[in-house]
Amino acid sequence: MIFKLIYPKWTKLKGQTTFNLPPHGPVVMAAALPDYVTVSFTDENVEEINFDEECDFVGISMMLTVQAKRGWEISEKFRKRGKKVIFGGIATMLHAEETLQHADSVFLGECEGRMEQVFGDFLKNDLKSLYNFMNQHPAIELVGPARRDILKHELYNHKGVQMVDLMHASRGCKFSCYPCAVSYLGGRCFRPRPIDKVIEELETIDNNRLFIVDNSLAQSKEWEMELFKNMIPLKKKFISHTIEDDPQVLDLAAQAGSWYVYQAVYDTSDYIKERVKRYHDHGIGVEGTILLGLDNQTEDDILRLIDFLLEINLDLAEFTVLAPFPHTKAYDDLLRQGRIFDHDWNHYNAGQVVYQPKHMTPQRLQELYDYAWKAFYQDESQEEKMFKLFSKVMLREMEDGTYRPRDRRLVSKSFGKDVVRNIK
Amino acid sequence: MKVPEKYYDEIFNFEGQWNLPSKCGLKVIETKDKKIIIVTELYQENPGSSVTYAGGLLAKQICEKKGFNKHDIIYIECNPNTNSKLSFYDEEFFQVNFDLENGEFVNPHYKQLTSEEMKRYISQQ
Repeated sequence: MIFKLIYPKWTKLKGQTTFNLPPHGPVVMAAALPDYVTVSFTDENVEEINFDEECDFVGISMMLTVQAKRGWEISEKFRKRGKKVIFGGIATMLHAEETLQHADSVFLGECEGRMEQVFGDFLKNDLKSLYNFMNQHPAIELVGPARRDILKHELYNHKGVQMVDLMHASRGCKFSCYPCAVSYLGGRCFRPRPIDKVIEELETIDNNRLFIVDNSLAQSKEWEMELFKNMIPLKKKFISHTIEDDPQVLDLAAQAGSWYVYQAVYDTSDYIKERVKRYHDHGIGVEGTILLGLDNQTEDDILRLIDFLLEINLDLAEFTVLAPFPHTKAYDDLLRQGRIFDHDWNHYNAGQVVYQPKHMTPQRLQELYDYAWKAFYQDESQEEKMFKLFSKVMLREMEDGTYRPRDRRLVSKSFGKDVVRNIK
Repeated sequence: MKVPEKYYDEIFNFEGQWNLPSKCGLKVIETKDKKIIIVTELYQENPGSSVTYAGGLLAKQICEKKGFNKHDIIYIECNPNTNSKLSFYDEEFFQVNFDLENGEFVNPHYKQLTSEEMKRYISQQ
């Protein structure tokens, strides 16, 4: 039985370096499928969909809100061809009501242990319109190694440099931050995977560079330290979100191969300054993630924050504007206050203002967002800063003997497309 | 970020969106002709849908469980003060007016209440 699994494309933010990373949701989902299912996977960000490809059943996996409308379009095209379509993934859970109108079936929740039922129903011609497993989390031990074999790895390659592979070591989040829907999606409970399972999965990944996508690793110090200790012999290098602010943990993280972290920078305090310094002291790079447009930010606050970022030697910065995604407190607040004026999900890319900010006009916030990118990268471009971080990891790999030179066969390709060189 | 108990008289368990087991704080003020229902968001202690997202679903469940006439309620959502440093978690009250269609509360409209308006409601206790 052939299951056509699709990851819809979305429009990337203008003016920013585009990287296509191999998606995580589809490979995790594929690992939960019954043995009799053969997966044919298409990531529309890097290749075209062949709507006439031979298949029995179609799945659409959506991670981002900006994928939703495209996902629904794709579904309609397959349904017109007589195919049954099922949706899953994070954005499906956020937009379930609307997605139901474009699907034969919608799966909500985590897939481990549930796909036998779904595919069994499909084979009996008894597919349910809704499989609701919200907040019924399968045993975390059931999460096995993701099926990265379904990916066409050469498409996640820029001029011979392989992109990082994604993996996860835990689910859920004990925090419930203002703009975030993770606690709704994965539960307000941190669910770490057993360390041996994580290591087993890491060993299967034929890539030395990884992005550990867990929302925050700083949720259980003991587990985090144990994870890093066990990762040291693998000599992988990894990007992650926040790591516990503790010298012992940071030291282990560095030994385990922490390359750089995404760290939220929300004010201009000495605490943030010191936090960034402590990462750097351990040889860990920092990409600041800066959310603009919160109700406690005036125009002056934003301008001061941008100046501050330049003072604290961040390696990279990523600016976003608040996007009120459903199932976040930000959404509830702005909805009640009647401040959301744009309900086109294609605009919820965190680079476009879709609500009325408290202290300025939407246009002014949009200008400040554009200014933030420009100001931060005016002396050294994003590409130059990225190259510096990249050089650091290459040197570390050369020191520990894990460096792999770029793939010469792919130097003229970028994410599957020919590189156009302007050489005169 | 614990929600102070002064905001509610009981914890109300309800089914949120997609049957998510959910919790909110509940206080009911009975006046001569209306029941004033105040639902309070519990944040970290609510494992499911927020009171705002659950909206009409929650209002309906409260009325049915408590035996209230759906036409005779004043429904208020409360964002409690959790003593957070972040202003998003300051105290706010919103009166929610729903349309009642086939026994379902739909089309919520929100009106933020001033502390004076809220005091007036509470003084009717």
